Amino acid sequence: MRIRHFIAILMLLAFGCARLSFESHLEQEGRAHYFHGAKFDLALRQRVGQMAFVAAFSGFRLLVAEGMYLHAHYLWQKVEWGGMKLDFDAATALEPRSILFWDQASWHMAYNASIAAYDDKKQPREALRAKAQREYWKVGEDYLLRGIANNPDVPTLYISLGNLYRYKYQDHCKAADAYRQAAGISGAPVYAHRFAVYELSECPGHDREAYEKLLALYKKGKEEQLPTLLKRLGILQEKLHVPADQKIYIPPPDHP
Amino acid sequence: MSTPAISIQNLTKIYPIPFKRERVTAVKDLSLTVEPGQVYGLLGPNGSGKSTTMKIVLGLVSPTSGRTEIFGRDSTTVESREDVGFLPENPYFYKFLTGSETLHFYGKLCGLSGTKIRDRTKELLKLVGLENAADRRLGGYSKGMLQRIGLAQAMIQEPRLLVLDEPTAGVDPAGSREIRDLILDFKKRGITVLLCSHLLEQVQEICDRIGILDRGSLIREGRLDELISIQNQTELILENAPPELLAAIQAIIAKSPARLVEQRKPQKTLERYFLDVTTPSQP
Amino acid sequence: MTATPPATQHKIFSPARVWAIASNTLLELIRLKVFYFLLIFALVVIGVLFLYRDIFQDEFQSLKDGSLGAMSIFSLLLSILPTAMLLPKDIEDRTLYTILAKPVPRFEYLLGKFLGVLLLLFIAVSLMSLVFLTVLFCRMEVAIGEATRSAHGALLNERLSAIQHDAFSESLLPGIFIVYLKAAVGASITLLLSTFATSMIFTVMMSFVVQIIGHLQSIARDAAIETVGITHLSKIFYMLLALLIPDLSAFSLVDEMVTGTAIPFDLFAKTAALGGIYVAVYFFVAYFIFMGKEL
Repeated sequence: MRIRHFIAILMLLAFGCARLSFESHLEQEGRAHYFHGAKFDLALRQRVGQMAFVAAFSGFRLLVAEGMYLHAHYLWQKVEWGGMKLDFDAATALEPRSILFWDQASWHMAYNASIAAYDDKKQPREALRAKAQREYWKVGEDYLLRGIANNPDVPTLYISLGNLYRYKYQDHCKAADAYRQAAGISGAPVYAHRFAVYELSECPGHDREAYEKLLALYKKGKEEQLPTLLKRLGILQEKLHVPADQKIYIPPPDHP
Repeated sequence: MSTPAISIQNLTKIYPIPFKRERVTAVKDLSLTVEPGQVYGLLGPNGSGKSTTMKIVLGLVSPTSGRTEIFGRDSTTVESREDVGFLPENPYFYKFLTGSETLHFYGKLCGLSGTKIRDRTKELLKLVGLENAADRRLGGYSKGMLQRIGLAQAMIQEPRLLVLDEPTAGVDPAGSREIRDLILDFKKRGITVLLCSHLLEQVQEICDRIGILDRGSLIREGRLDELISIQNQTELILENAPPELLAAIQAIIAKSPARLVEQRKPQKTLERYFLDVTTPSQP
Repeated sequence: MTATPPATQHKIFSPARVWAIASNTLLELIRLKVFYFLLIFALVVIGVLFLYRDIFQDEFQSLKDGSLGAMSIFSLLLSILPTAMLLPKDIEDRTLYTILAKPVPRFEYLLGKFLGVLLLLFIAVSLMSLVFLTVLFCRMEVAIGEATRSAHGALLNERLSAIQHDAFSESLLPGIFIVYLKAAVGASITLLLSTFATSMIFTVMMSFVVQIIGHLQSIARDAAIETVGITHLSKIFYMLLALLIPDLSAFSLVDEMVTGTAIPFDLFAKTAALGGIYVAVYFFVAYFIFMGKEL
């Protein structure tokens, strides 16, 4: 019987030799198409705890990621922004292909946490509150950039990045670029291109380019002739001193 | 000369002990033959090699050396088991199956199907007296009922050989008597039975030949009546003999070389007495 | 009923015998009430649904992740626990002797037992999938209703398309198949361990250990072929580990499939084939050991 066991081990070793290179190739092929294994480092281990760490690399990675995400929302109710960030770091490390995790992490940091930091009654100095606010914007931006690096073919995060630059940083040039990248991805919402043009129109040094693009949108028809487009067109027509007979859009007298 | 039902030739089985250099010899150069139609009792104390011998005959364990055959076919082959039905010691079977489902299952394992299984199941349940319990799960069967369903599954494919390991162990006297009657019925139908039992009184009642194993070797073997008869004594049992007749017989004996060893009333067995005074339990 | 030559011609391989054992095994496992766990699964799915009620995107991903996680846990438990008890129970109850004393080759007995477990897993995964897909469909309908109320025109069409894509992607069903296949591999590993294990507890523990180590096998494989910074002894150790332990991380593409990432059919087919080969090889080695087992 012991000889039989020994032969069985040899059979398993032979099978192992036969499949080793196939599995290696399969893994490489998989890496090209999908995320293949989170980074299991000490920071992750400390954040998720021992059992969750074991569960994470035992094939329950998504479940642990969802658990961390859920925990982050629980900490949100307790207004623990630092803890939330650590949970989001763990969730995105375990599942970097989840657009939701990156988007929500960015939103919580760049919008909720930043506002809370600016309104922090315990900090009397406004300069420091503003500094903390901008640091949270940076954290939010970082989530989106890392999310885009892991998911370059999904427009959602580019749009969120554009929104962040638009509403928080008020950096219209970066916003325009982000919306433009979103618009270039198949399946992007129709407003992505529109927003890209609007923001470009507010980016210094791109007036002519923005004007041409606004005109192109205008000529598409009523569905694009939205109030914002008309307003931007009117402003650029004035800025670029477009002759009256070449003006495509004449704003009504009560509109600036 | 017909093919023996069981032929064991120079059978040896040695078990190595894991992680030690010692070995245990369970069976040592055993040879015996069971002719068709016999009821053969394989006896011996615990650890004598009875179970090992049985398992080798059934192909469950492979021999170290020697050969065993069932009706001329090597018993290590699967085909040889077409001819064999086996009832192990204290079997549980599948508790979640009913009596008839159990027989269906074993019937399918023997290659039976359709009406054949249904007919055989009905027939066997009637034979072993379990018709009323056919749809009850085996988990609710008594010990005696389990042994009877075990006999039924052993018979499912109409085997020519039955191997029974302690068929009446733990069964009450009434159930035990029923099982013994079944075995005698099988014998009448020409089925060969290899029986292992510690209940020597029962062995004495039903076996034609016995073999006694001790420490792996066959120490005695032969016809039961020849082995246990006291050759130089004769037993006479008289009914309604008047005292004068008994006195005349004693006088004749006194004048002869023979010696009257004992004169007493024959006794019925305790089992017979028990059965006479108790009501048999219903299945 | 008299002693006559055998009523049936012996067949070297009989699918009917295998099916008799497989269906009996399935019946045994079902009658052990293993399906009560499905109630727990349904509750988990519904619980996850109610935890995330804010945005549709939230619920689809969390619902899928939670359901997939629960399906993986339960199918892992079902692949290990019933398989671990198959042989020990039959040996302890001496039922094995009554079966093998019939004209049943050991191969058919083991195959029948294993097929019974695979059938149980198939039914379990199918039922769990039905619950999951039904809840997903209902949630999708609710999301469609909400979108219809709040948007119109081109924007509505975009949102409807996004909802349908987020809810039911093409790779969802193939992903569930991989969950089943992974459980089948787990069952074959457990069967192999049970053929030489001395107790059921040992089999269960070792099966779980192999499951954990199996997800790290690719790390051992990479370490074994690494040339720098590793001793010879370590290399031999990692190589043995890589050769003996299955690469269970190969099935991690199921995470992506269920959440909607498009996986090329070629990659899916190779992974499925690998799973099938694992099952076949481990079963064969289990049979090889069982063939010589003294009963």
